Amino acid sequence: MWAGILLALVGLTLGVIIGLNVPMVLPQVYAQYLGLGVLAALDSVFGGIRAALENHYDNRIFVTGFFSNILLAAGLAYIGTKLGVPLSTAAVVAFGVRLFQNLAIIRRHLLKK
Amino acid sequence: MNKTLYISIMLVSVVLGMMVAFQFRTTGRVDSGVPIDRVQLLTTELKQIEKEYNTLLMEASDLESKLAQAEKGRPEASQAVQKELQKVRQIAGMTKLEGPGVEVTLAPIKKDDLQAGENLFTVRDEDLLRVVNELRAAGAEALSINGERIISTTEIRLAGTFIDVNLTRISPPYSVLAIGAPDQLESALLIKGGLVDTMRDWGVAVTVTKKESLTVPAYNHRINIEYAKPLKEEK
Repeated sequence: MWAGILLALVGLTLGVIIGLNVPMVLPQVYAQYLGLGVLAALDSVFGGIRAALENHYDNRIFVTGFFSNILLAAGLAYIGTKLGVPLSTAAVVAFGVRLFQNLAIIRRHLLKK
Repeated sequence: MNKTLYISIMLVSVVLGMMVAFQFRTTGRVDSGVPIDRVQLLTTELKQIEKEYNTLLMEASDLESKLAQAEKGRPEASQAVQKELQKVRQIAGMTKLEGPGVEVTLAPIKKDDLQAGENLFTVRDEDLLRVVNELRAAGAEALSINGERIISTTEIRLAGTFIDVNLTRISPPYSVLAIGAPDQLESALLIKGGLVDTMRDWGVAVTVTKKESLTVPAYNHRINIEYAKPLKEEK
């Protein structure tokens, strides 16, 4: 458990360092898609934490969910802009609601312990 | 089992960290508060304007080439117009003309006995008219009487005891200049029983001289065309 958290923190810092030092800069146009991807990723992570706290964490579900959520969120937003429908708003709302729900459940689990 | 779990957690966290950092950098780079919608709007506007600019550039080059072409054609066109103008002015009698022709002088025969009446032996306007008419019929291209060019609006008429040509008083002896084929003009006047014979009978001294070269002056009055309007020619 603690090793997992440690690893996650190490990975996070590593990722941040890599991200900050890569000379490539994303064009402004794609920023909103990446932002949605980040939101989806956070949602997945919190979902994973919640699942771990509820003791039915499945690694495969977590990893596939993580990546598919990112791609789906970004892709949906992209399609939305192409169609002229603000689908990114829908993604933001859905992920935001789930994020807060997951956070609330995690908080309750942590408080129960 | 544990190993894959750790690897996947590591992977996920690295990816998440990278994404967060990326996003942070992207939004942090342009924190001038320009919303993304505005950026898109401006981008599309810019694209449209660029497209417009390109089409306008093409149009401009097209027009420039046309202008160059027109510029190239202009001297010729203006030359043609000048030539046409020159021709029309010649026909209208606005230019001095020079060429072979005849000079006809008409003068009253001086008679010693003035009792016969002066009016009987003067040159009348009709004589001049006849001469002009005859010369025209014989192919005269330009005519003048005592320096007054005969054009389409010229009148020859008696005004009191003088003759008016182009509303200008002229006095004897009258000299009619005509440019044309000299022989033809001369023979038209001197034909037996023709105009000159008749006038001589009437007491007018007529001389017809062939000239290699004579100069007919230009019409030197103003022409006012006030009422006549050109109609568009039907094609």
